[in-house]
Amino acid sequence: MKPLTFTLRSEPEERLDLSGLIPDRLGGMPVVEIAGLSIGTSRSPAIVGDIFKITGTDAANIVFAGGSGRFDFVGAEMKTGHIRVDGDVGARAGRRMAGGTLVIEGKAGLQAGSGLKNGRIEINGDAGEGVGGPMAGEIHGMTGGLIIVRGKAGHRSGERMRRGIIALLKGCGDYAGLNMVAGTIVVAGRVGHYPGHLMKRGSLLFDRRPADLSPTFLDCGRVDIAFQALFDRYLMEEKILDRPLLGAKPTRLGGDNAVLGKGEIMFPRG
Amino acid sequence: MVAWIGSRTVPLPTAIEQAAKLLAKSRCPVFSLDSDIHGCRSLIALAEQVGATYDHVNGRDLVHQVALHTDIGGFFATATEVQRRADVIVVVGDVPAVHHDLLLSLAATTPDLPRSGKRRWFHIRGKATLALSGKLQRRAKAVDAGSSDLPIDAVLGVLRASLAARKASVVLDNIDAFLGTVANADFPVFVFSHFGDAASLTMLQGMLIDINKKRRATALFLPSDDDAWGMVLTSTWMTGFPPRTGFSTGSPVYDPWLCDVDRMIAGEEADLHLWVSERDEVDPPRRSGLPTIVLTRSDRPVAGAAVTVRIGKAGLDHDGVVYSSRIGTLRSAVAKAPSDLPSVYVIVEQLQHALQGEDVASC
Repeated sequence: MKPLTFTLRSEPEERLDLSGLIPDRLGGMPVVEIAGLSIGTSRSPAIVGDIFKITGTDAANIVFAGGSGRFDFVGAEMKTGHIRVDGDVGARAGRRMAGGTLVIEGKAGLQAGSGLKNGRIEINGDAGEGVGGPMAGEIHGMTGGLIIVRGKAGHRSGERMRRGIIALLKGCGDYAGLNMVAGTIVVAGRVGHYPGHLMKRGSLLFDRRPADLSPTFLDCGRVDIAFQALFDRYLMEEKILDRPLLGAKPTRLGGDNAVLGKGEIMFPRG
Repeated sequence: MVAWIGSRTVPLPTAIEQAAKLLAKSRCPVFSLDSDIHGCRSLIALAEQVGATYDHVNGRDLVHQVALHTDIGGFFATATEVQRRADVIVVVGDVPAVHHDLLLSLAATTPDLPRSGKRRWFHIRGKATLALSGKLQRRAKAVDAGSSDLPIDAVLGVLRASLAARKASVVLDNIDAFLGTVANADFPVFVFSHFGDAASLTMLQGMLIDINKKRRATALFLPSDDDAWGMVLTSTWMTGFPPRTGFSTGSPVYDPWLCDVDRMIAGEEADLHLWVSERDEVDPPRRSGLPTIVLTRSDRPVAGAAVTVRIGKAGLDHDGVVYSSRIGTLRSAVAKAPSDLPSVYVIVEQLQHALQGEDVASC
């Protein structure tokens, strides 16, 4: 079966809420019914048929041929299946996803993977602020799953993260892991101001010493434990990185002592 | 004359009719508001009627203060309680000049409820924090604590770690005096206004949570702008949400990013802008190509606006209701120089009436 493909006709005039176009909801739905789904967010909202040409039948495998910064909530609440976007997406792609795979070939906007529970999100371009973070008023951000950003990520990546893994492969902005409760953030490249600020537990793993650290992180020296070797192997097996991130005996900083102080920042020696 | 279509002077009913037509045919209207409580109430009701998204005119300054309440929460007291109970007042960072009279009145009094009957002052300062004004400093004799090398969120982090007997890599000025005073205080109060980042607010409220595990402490929040905070409260009681709320789906949706009016305009998502401000000499930013309806104090039509209506100011041209952080609630504002200029409430009432004759797309 050919993937269920939504080909973008032209740049939408309004922001679109694409949370309805996921395998869980479209399985068994006739094309005519799919074309009539409302996805616009203005007073006179657009329907799917206004924006996309629909081809293919395999709803477990969805493709958006063409992307836009106005595609919000792509793959939100998805539990199974596969979605690929050949282009950019807007805010909160993969929001509260509980399973399946979401691949974004272009850039992602604000809070990609917000509140992710499980599954895998791969963003081949840059990602906006708050990767895996919470929406306003929520206590926790991401609680599981894996997010890979192959471009640069914005500020506050992994904010209030509770579980799961975020890998940012071309650096990130300020306050990575802000208010983090647990989980792991991997960053290859430049890290912005005060990573791990207010983190209670969790691990921030970098490929270099961060330039601007909060004074409430303390140097614990070099550590010789099994964790970094296991994790380096995991990153390479998952094809997230092609060489070890931490290597042998990385340097470890403990913090944030302003809060619980049980988090850690690790980076290779040197 | 109080109304214009473009630069042409017109009777008010004609301008109202034109504005209603624009609102009725708009697919994604956005409102920027700055009015008293009555004005904001009527504008939010209008936003609901036409499916608009609204924010305060200075929404960018408000966003972290709102986030403190929506995302973090905290300990808060009113200024009257602080005046009676606080034996230690800790001013955190910069407090806008508009609140200095309140601080001076606190400095001129002593608390009657604590055992000591005295009040000590500290000022927590970071890299960019200004000194307290000369008069306030002379009255309060505040001891500076902090560091001129660190941003305020880092200073607060070190203070918080020190209060919990955890280590930090730097030592702050006068930290021992601060820790000793807070440890022996009956009711320390941290006075703060807006910070440039949410992390500082989180750190400050986290420190209060830590202190309150064993003793009492609270905070006095002084909004950067009382009138704007009044609009936040109005929005919250009317819709359940603070500003940056939209009615495009018919129900109120709060989203500080999606409903950021400035972003929506810059991203060419909005197709009509209603801009309202009762402040003197404040004009809306010029947006080419976006039809704009302006309610303003100006006695001239606003360049580029489709419709301009001149309005009066609550507490000057007509009576009104505004928020006062001095009393921590709403107060009446009696007209100082009553005039015939219409209030925002009156204009919006006429707009709502005119919209009844228009075919407004259902939300």
